[in-house]
Amino acid sequence: MTEKKWKIARIISYIVLIVYTLISLFPFLWAALVSFVPMNYVDENGITKGTDVMSWPPKIRVFEWPPKAFGAPLTFENYAKVFEVVPLYSRWFLNTVLYAGFITIGNILIGTLGGYAFARLRFPLKEVWFALFLGTMMVPAQVTMIPQYTLMVNWDLVNTYYGMVFPKLANIFGLFLMRQFFMNFPKEMEEAARIDGAGIGGTFFRIVLPNARPAVGALAIYTFLGAWNDFQWPLIITSQKEMYTLTLGLNFFKTSYYTFWQYMMAATIIMTIPMIIIFLSFQKQFVETGRAAAVKG
Amino acid sequence: MKPKTREAISGYLFASPVIIIVLLFVIYPIIMIFYYSFTNFNPLETQKFKAPLNPQEAIELHLGMFQTDVKSVDEIESWFDVLTFIQYDVGINLNEEQKEAILKYFDSQKLLEDFIEGKLDTTMTSSEFMTTYMKEEKDLFKKYKPQIVGLGNFQRMFNDDYVRISLFNTLLYTIIVVPIQTFLAVLLAVAANSKVKGVKFYKVVFFLPAITSSAAISMIFWLIYSKPGVLNRILVGLFGNFGYQPIDWLNNPNTALFSIMLMNIWSTAGYFMITFLAGLQDIPNSLYEAAEIDGASGGQKFWRITLPLLRPQILFVIVMGTIGCMQVFDQIYFLIENMRNITISFYIYKNAFEYGNMGYASSLALILFAIIMFITFLQRRYIPEEY
Repeated sequence: MTEKKWKIARIISYIVLIVYTLISLFPFLWAALVSFVPMNYVDENGITKGTDVMSWPPKIRVFEWPPKAFGAPLTFENYAKVFEVVPLYSRWFLNTVLYAGFITIGNILIGTLGGYAFARLRFPLKEVWFALFLGTMMVPAQVTMIPQYTLMVNWDLVNTYYGMVFPKLANIFGLFLMRQFFMNFPKEMEEAARIDGAGIGGTFFRIVLPNARPAVGALAIYTFLGAWNDFQWPLIITSQKEMYTLTLGLNFFKTSYYTFWQYMMAATIIMTIPMIIIFLSFQKQFVETGRAAAVKG
Repeated sequence: MKPKTREAISGYLFASPVIIIVLLFVIYPIIMIFYYSFTNFNPLETQKFKAPLNPQEAIELHLGMFQTDVKSVDEIESWFDVLTFIQYDVGINLNEEQKEAILKYFDSQKLLEDFIEGKLDTTMTSSEFMTTYMKEEKDLFKKYKPQIVGLGNFQRMFNDDYVRISLFNTLLYTIIVVPIQTFLAVLLAVAANSKVKGVKFYKVVFFLPAITSSAAISMIFWLIYSKPGVLNRILVGLFGNFGYQPIDWLNNPNTALFSIMLMNIWSTAGYFMITFLAGLQDIPNSLYEAAEIDGASGGQKFWRITLPLLRPQILFVIVMGTIGCMQVFDQIYFLIENMRNITISFYIYKNAFEYGNMGYASSLALILFAIIMFITFLQRRYIPEEY
């Protein structure tokens, strides 16, 4: 291609990318802006006004102190108010941390053990189990959730952490991810350990697992993210407000405090920030796993 | 012990947790959903058998008399209708088999005698009560047993307008969202792959919606889409002179589903772009150079080289996108207020967990499963291997 053509292509690319960057970011920035605006403020004439976050343009003044939007000075007070207005919000946060945490630990343990077994060890019926797992990958959640729920009812685990976490402790995708990793793991290291007299368990825990950090990391991040954002299963398995996770809490918040946009957006941002932090710290794993998943398809 | 045996034992030790979880929570549910879909299974009925009951109060309510006012069985015998009593005062819905058994074996005499003697002012569960006073066939009342209704649930679907509406909405949703998000993702990936600066930045920004929960995204778009909200303000600013009136995007049945489709495209296109970008970077540059020597135009290179070599990624994105769209639930639950815009997975949820029609919901879930299998089969078959 001529140099001139390349230039034009690059300019078009930049336009596409920048426009879509704005489209991608705008909803987040708008929500963040609304979350920083107080419910009421005192204007220049000393009159207390309710802030109209629906007005347009938003009249953003960042070069004044304090910075203003919608005519009101920006503040962090809505973030504190969320915990006051909805006293259960901190409980929901804790529930979400526990829910996502236990599911992640379970998936790491069960996924690495299972992945190793299916990648390296020979045991009877291995191919049968594997084919069975492969066959269930396409089963939609709508099929499994009803019997899962009735199981939990029969075991009296509705509205308990056990009931929330138990069915999510292992995931076929996680198993496949770990199996794939262990299949490409150099055999020589394990053989060296065997010659030194280590058993299968010793080899796994002392040699294989410490070297599986990248795969375990990717599995952990994806599982944690999925569980943190999960909505449908917590919705089904909990009915008491004390057991809600943040996603459910947000829905409750929406139906009960629907006009308090500032609090709503603060609550939304609070539950999104941890995921953004995790994402920014582990970008590479996210992108790499996305790539691995595509190659498989 | 032989090393082979030892390896087999370790294999099962390592694999058993995942095997147990999958058997319990995937395989067993698949078997059960077939069974449920041929029954009128209702989880609320299960609760009724476990519900605490004070028999004395139930009988007082049934007779309209206090226990202390009743002296002999003869007085009340004619007032006592056993079937009505069990259905409405004990609260168990009876099927024909159970009704027959009650008429034959229920010991009304003993119950009324105990009532008069004041023995019944205690709390027991409904199933304990029934097993105490049934002389035979106690098993019928130990716990809730769903009735087999044969193909009843599947026949019912044909007369259910909501099944038609929700299936239509789901397919429409998939047909609109999947091609647009795939096309947009390819476009973004090609743009990011054309030797521009800051690719890392774009990747991070485009990925952001994918790591945000559907709940949070729904809340943000609820704000943006609301009638006095920012989207309408911008549109009025642009098109107000041409007579644009603010639209209540989410409460207007004509726009609600499309608004959610747009939100879905926004939240997934960037994620799939990463997939395509990885694919593009694997295409060797020499192919393009060779094409240029042969005098190929930019369009020809795109259609003849880029697209065919992206085939695995395109198939992956289309299949994953379809599965996601066919099951769309969270956004509908959060944002859709009218039943004209519901999707099938939302209708399944409603039936199972709000209306108490789990049998019916199970049969709908099976239908959804079959449709998803069929569509992905077609996609795998007809998205050609080679162009």
